Amino acid sequence: MKFVCLNCETYMNFEKVEKPAEGTLGVFFACPSCDAKVSMVTNPGETQMVSTLGVQLGGRTVDAIPLEMTRGTLKEEVSAPTDSGSMAAYLNDKIQAGESSASAGATPAKEGEGGCPFSAMVAQMGLTTGGTSTGTQQSDLQWTPDAQERLGKLPSFVQPMVKGSVETYARKNSYTTVTLQVMDDSKNNTSDGMNWSPEAEERLKNIPDFIQPMARKEIERIAQERGVTTISAELMDEAKDKFMKFM
Amino acid sequence: MGKDLKEILGNLKYTDDAKVIQQLTAHTKHVHDRMAGIKHKLVIMSGKGGVGKSMTTVNLALALARQGKKVGIIDVDLNGPCIPQMMGIHGKGLEITPEGARPPEGPYGIKVASMDFLLSEAAPVRWKGPMDLSPVWLGLMEMNVIREFLADIMWGELDFLLADLPPGAAADKPPVIAGFLPDLAGAVVVTTPSEVASNVVQKSIGYATELGIHVLGIIENMSHYRCPSCGEENELFEGNTEGMCEALNLPLLGRIPFDRDFAKTFDKGIPLLDDQHPTIQRYQDIVGRIQSLLDYKKILAEKL
Repeated sequence: MKFVCLNCETYMNFEKVEKPAEGTLGVFFACPSCDAKVSMVTNPGETQMVSTLGVQLGGRTVDAIPLEMTRGTLKEEVSAPTDSGSMAAYLNDKIQAGESSASAGATPAKEGEGGCPFSAMVAQMGLTTGGTSTGTQQSDLQWTPDAQERLGKLPSFVQPMVKGSVETYARKNSYTTVTLQVMDDSKNNTSDGMNWSPEAEERLKNIPDFIQPMARKEIERIAQERGVTTISAELMDEAKDKFMKFM
Repeated sequence: MGKDLKEILGNLKYTDDAKVIQQLTAHTKHVHDRMAGIKHKLVIMSGKGGVGKSMTTVNLALALARQGKKVGIIDVDLNGPCIPQMMGIHGKGLEITPEGARPPEGPYGIKVASMDFLLSEAAPVRWKGPMDLSPVWLGLMEMNVIREFLADIMWGELDFLLADLPPGAAADKPPVIAGFLPDLAGAVVVTTPSEVASNVVQKSIGYATELGIHVLGIIENMSHYRCPSCGEENELFEGNTEGMCEALNLPLLGRIPFDRDFAKTFDKGIPLLDDQHPTIQRYQDIVGRIQSLLDYKKILAEKL
């Protein structure tokens, strides 16, 4: 954080930190050209927020002791809080005194905009309940009864994911109907469109089954690096040579 | 006042004279320096609470240590730390030295860092200060507690550091850990065969993958119940972890039964160390698979 002296068009220099009251900080800056000074004063909440970063403004003068922040901030006993909620009390005082919590610098909401500064951002991010949900989209693809049956045999909680993955593959390959063959093909094709030759598939079976998923990903990565879309026996040889370097 | 701020700033050179960036950089370096002596860092996670992550973490650590590995556990479940109790070291404390905080050691010399060591008996985690009830501040505070656990604990040279993540989606913890540990070896995900658990666990796997955390595989805990009288095994749930693993293209690392022997020992702070126990042997098998996965390139070179 910096302050800029607009008269001299330069950054003000950090000078010192003081504690004008319990839980508050006064951070002093001075303009190196005109010597104008400014002090930024933090409220208790802001002060604690800064200290939680584990930093000291102006730099450390003594080394940190182990677990300094954790041990220093931990309230050991379960007794009734003494300062708990004092930030809320501070804000409450301000409100009682007629100050808006969003005072200086805040742009007032325009008429008819509702007043919540975050609602527009939330809407932009598509997080509102009125947003389009991809999960409820009607499928534009036909599923043959046997494909439908195979999908139905999967655990119910993985069905949406498998269905989505198969349909993505089908659309990518311009299929309009999902058959058992399309399901098989989608399984043998990665999202990057890799095809495994039968010989390469067979060689993969030499690997312990719990390592096969990782091996598959790694070999496909090598194929991508080579710019090929089919995992052939030759590529498997190349991969093996590469892995030999780790022996 | 002819110029706008953008133009003025364009002509200025920023200096960190309040030394904030310098200190934040030093924090990261401190973590990296401390972690440099640790070969493999793993997180044990699940989207679901109550699936037995801590029990799994403890037993994976014990299984690794039984193989002669040097192991540490960081109990990232800051608000419900239970690793010390399971390891039989509840009530011990961290020894603060100029070099760092020396962690208590459990069986086989396993080093443990946990909030439990900083709390009075039965006291919940409560923080001082005006912001103690602010969720935003709490998130920041917890992030820094994890940083201090990583950086200030005297871990020394370890083969494995296991991080037991808290229950729930814990959206903030995986990125914090991944952020501090760029060389994180991966995540081991724990689930039960319940559909409810699997449903939530899937989401956490998707989230971890998006963060670039490599998910090594899934452990199915409470797979079945072994009768202590006759030894017969029966299903507890009717889920399908194998189906989930297949759909997610992840290996099922192993199945662990619900075992009353564990409840009678770890729960009471007397960890079960009998390496002939059938459930402990399952953990031994799982750590064998985990090590193979970490060493998969050598296996591919041999068998491909």
